[in-house]
Amino acid sequence: MDKRYTLKIDKIIEETSDIKTFTFKYTLGANPGQFIMLTDFEGGEKPFSISDCTKEEFSITVKRIGEFTTRLFQKCVGDFVSIRGAYGSSFFISKNNVLLVGGGYAVPTFYFFAKVLLEAGADVTLINGARTKAEHVFADRFESLDIIVINTTDDGSFGENGTAVDIAQKIMSQDNFNFLYASGPEMMMKALQDVIGDTNYEFLFERYMKCAIGICGNCTMDPLGLRLCVEGPVLPKEKVEQLTEFGKYHRDASGKRHEL
Amino acid sequence: MQKSLKSEFLGITITSPLVLPAGVMGMAFSGFNISIENGAGIVTSKSLTLESRMGHKGPVVAEFEGGLLNCMGLCNPGIVDGLAEIDQFKKHSDIPVIASVFATNTEDFLKLTKHVNKSQTDFLELNLSCPNVFDEFGIPLAASQEEVHNIVKAVKQISTLPIIAKLSPNVYDIVSIAKAAEFAGADALCMINTVGPGMLIDTKIIKPVLYNKFGGLSGPCIKPIALKLIYQTYSAVDIPIIGMGGVTYGEDAIEMLMAGATVIGVGTAVHYRGIEVFNKINNEILEFMEENEYSSVKDIPKLEKLEM
Repeated sequence: MDKRYTLKIDKIIEETSDIKTFTFKYTLGANPGQFIMLTDFEGGEKPFSISDCTKEEFSITVKRIGEFTTRLFQKCVGDFVSIRGAYGSSFFISKNNVLLVGGGYAVPTFYFFAKVLLEAGADVTLINGARTKAEHVFADRFESLDIIVINTTDDGSFGENGTAVDIAQKIMSQDNFNFLYASGPEMMMKALQDVIGDTNYEFLFERYMKCAIGICGNCTMDPLGLRLCVEGPVLPKEKVEQLTEFGKYHRDASGKRHEL
Repeated sequence: MQKSLKSEFLGITITSPLVLPAGVMGMAFSGFNISIENGAGIVTSKSLTLESRMGHKGPVVAEFEGGLLNCMGLCNPGIVDGLAEIDQFKKHSDIPVIASVFATNTEDFLKLTKHVNKSQTDFLELNLSCPNVFDEFGIPLAASQEEVHNIVKAVKQISTLPIIAKLSPNVYDIVSIAKAAEFAGADALCMINTVGPGMLIDTKIIKPVLYNKFGGLSGPCIKPIALKLIYQTYSAVDIPIIGMGGVTYGEDAIEMLMAGATVIGVGTAVHYRGIEVFNKINNEILEFMEENEYSSVKDIPKLEKLEM
């Protein structure tokens, strides 16, 4: 049985004006790429990627987007929230030379992943991209790890000037990577897919989730029927290549399709 | 002799007696794809309404030792988009599809039926029994013999497809309701919908776990209730029954058949045993047939009917 855990918020870090990291003292035992469902029982339960997970504690890094996250942002250290998980697939742990390409608020999950990759003996290069300096996160956290980091912003206000995809294309022509991982806006991953040639990869996807236990069918991806909450959110190259909805549309809470 | 799961439901041959019920994996055509690849013989859409519905806010599911509580709240993309998903599925599959529809009055059920008539759907299921929209719509229609009779009769007059009435377990006298549906022209019954509803409480935050507070029970804890209601109904009607409620293993499916079901729904078990659950149960039914020397599903004996 999947249990629910109601936990006190142990720490809150303000990353940007609308991105916060919430830490909980709890042995979650998650793998990188997995997510939890979180609720305060005030209306709404949402999936959040895990941005750090040690033996003693775990963190999620949240962007304020709608009603639910706005309420979450008003919570303080010591307030209770309720979680279930960790759920879903996780990243393949390569021991080789790997490239991580991350965009915006989807980057922090790579902090947890990079630490696991380093333990496994991989050589890690990270492209940490955002639209602007104000939206760029975790630069200091990645600085503390023994990895190569390339910070970039679309407007050049921090790090390199260019999109994460531009930078990925450039450095892939200079270095041989055995495996590529991406976590970011879907259109970023779609563009990335077009420039990475034969390199093996895994992408982390986002879809509207409700039950998170593979029953309700809200997050199935066409045409394979992969349930993003069970077979995802991390999908391997051979699956991604078959997805007809990738970069095209997603379904809302009613199941209605919307163009991306 | 080769044992076969090939069965028949309302005149259509099916490859397995297992049915994907309404509300499980039935949002997108790809949800049907993955279910049939894993052994389902019939698939059912989410219950479709005239307009799209976002459903209740989360949490919409809560797990406990005996099963699940859910209060999805009839989220669905609306009849037009929902039927488009069915039609997209039917372009490359001849597995029968049940379109489930939900409304609160005869007029809207008739409108929905006209849409379904124009689609590639094989069967029409009237969801008369959603337990999770009480605040919005009140007591389910399936609680009233008269409502069930009137709606089924009206829909039967215009439907070009066989009609299945989905009944609620949360009634005092299931037999009279089932007979009302049969008398009004229902071609089959689907039972049971979720039980209760029930609730769970978070003891730290001191709130109901489900945002809707209450939700229908499914899973192993409801199987005995389902078996009893199916058996009573089977004893009283002559139309086939899609039997469901807590079916997790082949043994449960056999019990459903013995209680009087013609085919068997598998829903919550998708959580317990993965989407592969249909093939797992198919194999377990075959093993049972092997051990007991039944060559086809219809040879599996039923209980002697109750005396009415």
